[in-house]
Amino acid sequence: MKKLLTALAMCQVFATAAVAQDIKIGANFPLSGANAEYGEIFATGVNLAVDHINQDKILDGNLVVVYEDSQALPTQGVIAANKLVNVEQVPYMLSAFTGVSKAIAPVGTRNQVVMINGGGVGPDLATLSDYFWNVIPLANFEVKTMVPYLVDEKGLKRIALVYVDDPLGQAVLEDMTRELEAAGGELTGAFSVPAAAQQFSGVAARVRDTKPDAVFIASYGNQQVQLIKQLRDNGIDQPIASYSAFSTPSVRNLPEAKGALFTSQKTNLGNPDPRTQRMVKDYREKYGKDPNMYAMNYYNAVLLFADLAAALQKEGKPITGANLLEMRQKTPSFDFVGATVSFAENGTVQSPVQVNEIQADGSYKVVK
Amino acid sequence: MLYLQLLVNGLQTGALYALIAAGFSLIFGMTRIFHAAHGATFTIAGFVFYEFYSVLQWGLVSSILASCVAAGLFGVLLNRWVYVIIQRHEGSFFTVFAASFGAAIVVQNVVAIVFGKGLVTVTTSLSRSVEILPDLYVSPMALIAVLAALLCFAVLHYLFTHTNMGVALRALGENPGLIDVYGLNPRQLGKYAFLIGSVLVVPAAILTAATSGLNPAMGHHVMMISIAATIVGGVGSLRGAAMAGLLFGLAENISLAFVDPQWSEAVTFVILFLFIIFRPGGFYGRAITS
Repeated sequence: MKKLLTALAMCQVFATAAVAQDIKIGANFPLSGANAEYGEIFATGVNLAVDHINQDKILDGNLVVVYEDSQALPTQGVIAANKLVNVEQVPYMLSAFTGVSKAIAPVGTRNQVVMINGGGVGPDLATLSDYFWNVIPLANFEVKTMVPYLVDEKGLKRIALVYVDDPLGQAVLEDMTRELEAAGGELTGAFSVPAAAQQFSGVAARVRDTKPDAVFIASYGNQQVQLIKQLRDNGIDQPIASYSAFSTPSVRNLPEAKGALFTSQKTNLGNPDPRTQRMVKDYREKYGKDPNMYAMNYYNAVLLFADLAAALQKEGKPITGANLLEMRQKTPSFDFVGATVSFAENGTVQSPVQVNEIQADGSYKVVK
Repeated sequence: MLYLQLLVNGLQTGALYALIAAGFSLIFGMTRIFHAAHGATFTIAGFVFYEFYSVLQWGLVSSILASCVAAGLFGVLLNRWVYVIIQRHEGSFFTVFAASFGAAIVVQNVVAIVFGKGLVTVTTSLSRSVEILPDLYVSPMALIAVLAALLCFAVLHYLFTHTNMGVALRALGENPGLIDVYGLNPRQLGKYAFLIGSVLVVPAAILTAATSGLNPAMGHHVMMISIAATIVGGVGSLRGAAMAGLLFGLAENISLAFVDPQWSEAVTFVILFLFIIFRPGGFYGRAITS
């Protein structure tokens, strides 16, 4: 019995020793709840990046991602962040959703943990902290692109806005008000909906009452799908527009979403550089479809960590949040999938924005 | 015309809420079991209908039957294999609630694994509104929702007033202890309460699939409405729960004429709080002595 126990204890020591060589990063994603679809999409990019990094042995050690469920809620996001920071002691944490990101920023900053966002688009995310980085254009850039397109090119001057009652929605309302005024358009009505709301026939009636030329939806997850369907079912035939959140499969596959417009960062799947080609090819093989911008953003976010961490290991420095930040600040550019990019002072990647139109078969066409 | 439109929308929403709430109220009122997995029953009913109707293309009647069987089975089996066992071991109210809540979480995740985490909808032209008057849009689905609710409650009324089982269930709700004296088995009767209460969500689940879509996490919203309507309607009163559901639907929509949409859900809770403060027994609550 004593020998057995000793053997078991030795196994534990060796197991612990093996695990210690793993390099851990955290992912604070919605894995359950109304926005779980996003978490699923983000994870496809993350997991593929981890596979590639480990296959290429970019790091001295095995890269491992520890997932925690934020449910896209700020409270849950903070709980998840605390666990990743204090228990798993990750130096680098992937984040998403404006509300969650704003809530966890103090946690990461206090503990000098890099947080990187590839999904949330609230403009505030650019100014949260030196440790908070963004690899996605923020809503102000998206609205700035969509509004002139609607007003000047499509002649749709009267816009009604339906927005979720959270930091993202508030930010879009501010940007929309400002950009419409600048473009010579008019905000005919702004209707805020609770994040958990599912019935929108009454909101549709209010929107119809303002007689808009187009309707802009600033929501996400299942709610935006419900909004599109119920606006269409309740007599809203005007064009519907939104931001990058419309790129999810559940929106694109909704028959009522045909013709809807949305902005997204420019993604060039045909970019000939080897990293892009490998990512696109392997993604298609593994998941049976093209990667969307969210998958690419989080692939890039993990790749960014690998590049920075590899540089630190080469210099003999430990992989800490502070060192990652310093390394990023002194690196002029990064070869992301789709483009070579640079970070602005505030830790946000600058990238151009395109306007897309959803087609009947669920694909989308770039219209600007 | 905005007010009339909101009234019509409120009737449709209210009919759905009435159907949802009545099932929970029936189960809770008859068995005193806080069936927190009632939302899960709703989710199962909706997704089974979606699978049979939209994916397998079985036809409307077959799909509805499949949905009824799935919902009824889930309710009956959960009662038999979880609640009854806990109660047999003198499990407390909270133990049953925790088990029920756990079942709801399991169902949510299983549905997410099987059907994915995104929203799915049943495509039908019946959900598209038609302008019947200038600025007044009504969809055929609204009429179907109201008729379905009326039909279901008419059937229930007949069941509870003209059948032995229905009378026995009402007796169970009034005095479970006395049931034994009359040679009836409360647990057997409870099985029927779960069956009827679970099948009662099927019309609402199907209508929701066609109007606002289905997602694995929708059970929470269903439970919120069910609990609030049961309290406002009076515990044990099917009629009260239905009226409360209708009231919530109407209030949620008509309030949009006066307040921003972000406050529409809060209206439900304001009504709930007002009832708790001024009429805690609800519409048809019964005075009891202890």
